[in-house]
Amino acid sequence: MNDLWNNLNGSPNIQDGGEIGVVTQGSLTEGVEMKLNPDRSVEDVKAGKFVVIEGYKNQFFSMITDLSLDATNPEILLYPPRESDQLLHSVLNGASTYVTVALRPMLMLEQGEEVVDEPRPVKTIPSHFSKVVEAEEEDVSRVFGSEEKDDRFFNMGTPLDMDTPVCINLNRFVERSNGIFGKTGTGKSFLTRLVLCGLIKNKKAVNLIFDMHNEYGFRAMKEGGQGNSFVKGLKQLFGNQVALFSLDPESSRQRGIQPDHEVYITYDQIAVEDVIALQDELQLNPTASESAYLVYAMYKNRWLRQLLSLDGPDVEQFAEDIGANKSSLSALHRKLKRIENFPFMVNSLNGADAVDTMMDYIDRGIHIVLEFGRQTSMLAYLLVANILSRRIHEQYVTKSEKFYASQNSEDQPRPLVITIEEAHKFLNPATARQTIFGTIAREMRKYYVSLLVVDQRPSGIDEEVLSQLGTKITALLNDEKDIQGVLTGVSNASGLRSVLASLDSKQQALVFGHAVPMPVVIKTRDYDEIFYKAMGDLSDEERMEKAEAASAAIFGD
Amino acid sequence: MALTQLDISTEYIGEIVESSTSQFTSESRELNGAPPFGSFVKTLGALPVYGLVFNVCTHSIEPNRRATAYGLTEQELREEQPQIFELLKTEFEAVIIGYGDDRGPQQVLPPQPPGIHSFVFPCTESEIKALTNSGDFLRSILCGNRLPADDLIIASVRNAWAARASDMPYLVGIGKDLCRLIRDDYDRLSSIMRRISQ
Ligand SMILES: Nc1ncnc2c1ncn2[C@@H]1O[C@H](COP(=O)(O)OP(=O)(O)OP(=O)(O)O)[C@@H](O)[C@H]1O
Ligand SMILES: [Mg+2]
Repeated sequence: MNDLWNNLNGSPNIQDGGEIGVVTQGSLTEGVEMKLNPDRSVEDVKAGKFVVIEGYKNQFFSMITDLSLDATNPEILLYPPRESDQLLHSVLNGASTYVTVALRPMLMLEQGEEVVDEPRPVKTIPSHFSKVVEAEEEDVSRVFGSEEKDDRFFNMGTPLDMDTPVCINLNRFVERSNGIFGKTGTGKSFLTRLVLCGLIKNKKAVNLIFDMHNEYGFRAMKEGGQGNSFVKGLKQLFGNQVALFSLDPESSRQRGIQPDHEVYITYDQIAVEDVIALQDELQLNPTASESAYLVYAMYKNRWLRQLLSLDGPDVEQFAEDIGANKSSLSALHRKLKRIENFPFMVNSLNGADAVDTMMDYIDRGIHIVLEFGRQTSMLAYLLVANILSRRIHEQYVTKSEKFYASQNSEDQPRPLVITIEEAHKFLNPATARQTIFGTIAREMRKYYVSLLVVDQRPSGIDEEVLSQLGTKITALLNDEKDIQGVLTGVSNASGLRSVLASLDSKQQALVFGHAVPMPVVIKTRDYDEIFYKAMGDLSDEERMEKAEAASAAIFGD
Repeated sequence: MALTQLDISTEYIGEIVESSTSQFTSESRELNGAPPFGSFVKTLGALPVYGLVFNVCTHSIEPNRRATAYGLTEQELREEQPQIFELLKTEFEAVIIGYGDDRGPQQVLPPQPPGIHSFVFPCTESEIKALTNSGDFLRSILCGNRLPADDLIIASVRNAWAARASDMPYLVGIGKDLCRLIRDDYDRLSSIMRRISQ
């Protein structure tokens, strides 16, 4: 009997992928509403689900953004039927009490039309009583492409309750700077690794990754049901296509990793700009940069070495000499002293300059992961990332100008993607205009460099930068400000807001922007053995076999 | 033919004495033998007419006389005053909910009233199903005048439901139709539904 009532009240086992409701009202600006079929249970319909509205001429690919319970008669709500009164429940269900589902049409295609690179915006809405159906496999691949079609497409996961892959268009992805967001523990690093694998595997860009927590190069921690385990890093998956640089070689070695290069930085390589980028972190006041520029005006490249060589009391005298504000310069001096504690700071280099080595790799299309080892302070991360990126960017500017002048395709630089975590520290509104990362984010790849920013507090990132980000992949965010931040520059953001806040706390993400024809919620692709294999990695046994085969080939059986 | 004639004359339950296109009154063949309130009945003829019994009454055959109280049980009365039963008759009224043509029962009023003196028969199960497969018969009940609508709905829906072996989805469907017809009168709906399923 219970089964019978379940059937009458919208059974969970009706999963025929068929009609789920009909359109009842709506507008182009606010999205459309559908009345849920009474044979569907509201609990099977989730925010973020990908559905298709069958209009007369067009199919509208839409996302469910909100659900509401409605009643035609307020009296029902005052005197709800008793629990035992199943009959009345069933009678009211779908007639006097019904479920309204808010849908946001995101993409409109004529019957049979394919998605071209630049999707057309939705310009109309489906007519009254248009059928709303669950998306089918072919709908997903029609909209998002598939890996078989083309190496542009890279599988990022599947839509909610479906198994067909949702792909992002990597060609479009690398045309802009992009962002990966989500509060802590939601899978940002996993998402980032996925995207990086896509870029490396399909050779869409060279990557430079500032790996603050040592989780991209070799082996990263995976929290799991039964204790923690490890997943493979890029170096393990892609071998010598990836070079491992380390700021803390000792730590790398302790973890059993032999870095390809060690990175040291001299004081002369630090520019005033790099110090401005530390403004927040060191709590410098705005006059600090003026003071720094005064020192720079006198000593050029040697400005920092000069400043730090002074002892506390001498600074005031020095300030007087160069006409700087005494207290401001002393504060700057005192705070920059911290830099001297970093083991990677040296007076002069023994070997090659890290930037030259990096450029050499980049020119050969080899990706770079820079591990910070135990240098996990924000200060070290900011400082190093700024110095290296600024200098690499300078080289890219030169290369690009050369290419623009010669227009010789051989001179064309390889697109470079720089990945930074804790991006709000680099791109906060106070300094984003003056630092290298702000510049890169704003100039839109004019010089072939773009950013992949990874962050848990997008609200801390300069708005202009946020709105320049081409594609955003965001896992769960709770803070209203962060949600607003991520949706900066998105038209019709209202529906996505509720979707964002209702994502699962792990392995689910909303993808929207330049690289996908329409926003979509995905269950992120598993980063596991199957994925490694898809990336061309061999399992241990296969590796053994291959090695045996190779030795057999050389030495005979 | 002769056989059916005989058949009919033994099965009929009443004979029409007053008729219109929306209602008819028939005299019951037996005293106190009228079809139950809310049952489906039909007349035969060129166009069979289907109705729903909404009123049953027993009274004196003479318009201006009333039966008198005797203070005896029916048993005693039958023994001592058998003639008084000859002076009583039972009548029942039905609201017309459709008629039949070559496609079967239609839920539309007939073009002509059923003929006076036509015999009235109970409907078969399949006729009941055909007449109640949508909630349209409820509309006839709700729109008819001087009908005890709620009770008639309860009784007739019970019959329709019984004809379908108490099929729950049918009852729910009818409930939904009813809900719309009574314009979301929640109180009324819950009272009717409760009484139907009791
Ligand atoms: N695609 C995935 N495949 C397998 N596991 C995943 C995936 N995405 C997330 N997880 C699980 O979620 C956990 C947290 O992911 P991750 O470390 O990427 O979070 P995070 O957002 O980077 O956190 P933090 O802010 O601390 O850096 C992982 O340890 C893993 O167990
Ligand atoms: Mg992380």
